[in-house]
Amino acid sequence: MSSPTRVGRYRLIRNVILAWMTAVILAAFLIDIPRINILEHTARNLFFHVPMWFTMMSAVLVSAVHSVQYLRRESPLSDIRALQAARVGFAFGVLGLITGIAWAKFTWYVGTDVWWNFDPRQTMAALQLVIYGAYFVLRTAFDDPERRARVSAAYNLFAALTVPFLLYVVPRQLTSLHPGADGNPAFSDITAPEMRLVFYPAVIGFIGLFWILYTQRVRLAAIRLRLAGDAES
Amino acid sequence: MRHWLTGTWSVLAKDLQLEFRTRYALNLLLMFVVTSVFVVALGIGRGAVTPGVKAGLLWIVVFFSASIGLGRSFVSEEEAGTSLILRMNVRGSMVYVGKLAFNYLLLLAVDLVATLSFSLLLELDVARAGLLALVLAVGSLGLAGATTLLSAIIARAANRGPLLPVLAFPTLFPLLMTVVPASLAALEGGGAWDAAAGDLRVMIAFAGTVITGSVLLFDYIWED
Repeated sequence: MSSPTRVGRYRLIRNVILAWMTAVILAAFLIDIPRINILEHTARNLFFHVPMWFTMMSAVLVSAVHSVQYLRRESPLSDIRALQAARVGFAFGVLGLITGIAWAKFTWYVGTDVWWNFDPRQTMAALQLVIYGAYFVLRTAFDDPERRARVSAAYNLFAALTVPFLLYVVPRQLTSLHPGADGNPAFSDITAPEMRLVFYPAVIGFIGLFWILYTQRVRLAAIRLRLAGDAES
Repeated sequence: MRHWLTGTWSVLAKDLQLEFRTRYALNLLLMFVVTSVFVVALGIGRGAVTPGVKAGLLWIVVFFSASIGLGRSFVSEEEAGTSLILRMNVRGSMVYVGKLAFNYLLLLAVDLVATLSFSLLLELDVARAGLLALVLAVGSLGLAGATTLLSAIIARAANRGPLLPVLAFPTLFPLLMTVVPASLAALEGGGAWDAAAGDLRVMIAFAGTVITGSVLLFDYIWED
């Protein structure tokens, strides 16, 4: 990242993403959306909650790919990438969970005291967050950076093996209120066309935001690694 | 293949021999099971407990016993300084499968004692004993597969502490969500085998995936 043209290109992409996100957020609050009973203006959460989940899933994928890369090549940079993707993905996951809980409370569970009701997708998302929590705790238990990198990459991949089972197990025991699940109408049938004009750019914008945060953190950790010999010191 | 089986068997035989000398792990686990069943029984009090709650409590006791008792399998090698000798003499997959077999035997003892003390203290009425035994056997295989790999992970850590439950429980959610309904079906009877068939398939697939993945990943944890 040292040559001036690469830095310039990085800054250009970053600024485009930030301008794009600003436009998305303004549009998300200002466009005219159909008013549906109970849902009302909470429907605008579609522009935040759903892209956050897409972003988290992308981050999980990025993290797992770099864990595999680490086990194959043992490059410290792969370990940094796997960790930072997990950290930024975790942050998006927490935000997605909070926006989801608040949304459900005032629509699905309106008039009840329910905040949390093991919805399949909610359960799987919470599980992925717990796995990353364990992954972060595991990393702090090592002194030797090389051993920490190798063992935590193995744990990251081992935990990722167990997640797909939930795709099969959870929906059998819990019914979902999410669109497109359990015979609920699919996203494309219930969403007004004008909302999609903001939704798809929001997905791109949030993933772009992930990319900014992720690359910045990776570069910071790489500098730490070069200066101190350990990215987490 | 023959060579691999001999190596695996020698790891298992070594662990069994050490265990019969002191019976530390077995006594620890069985005491943990018995005392925790007492805690459960006294904590619930004299109120009526539904079979669903009993199935859940039985598995919670088994899960915690596994995550506490099986964590020692690799830590003890590190503490005794014998892991280097193992590394020199047998391949990683032999060590993993040998330790897995030992842990599985321990866990079957846990299952037996937990079920017996549950029926003694909590009036566990089992309608389909064969199904419950099968669910315990298959579920414990997945449980042993995961905890064996994760105990190898914590043996490599500098600060071990009570790390195993933290690492293990997130990966065991799919297992917990199938063994409890299947055990409940075994307690309630009726068309239990049909009701538990789907869950049993998931349990078998889970054990297979976890053990295969562990064999593939074990070398990265085990070798330096």
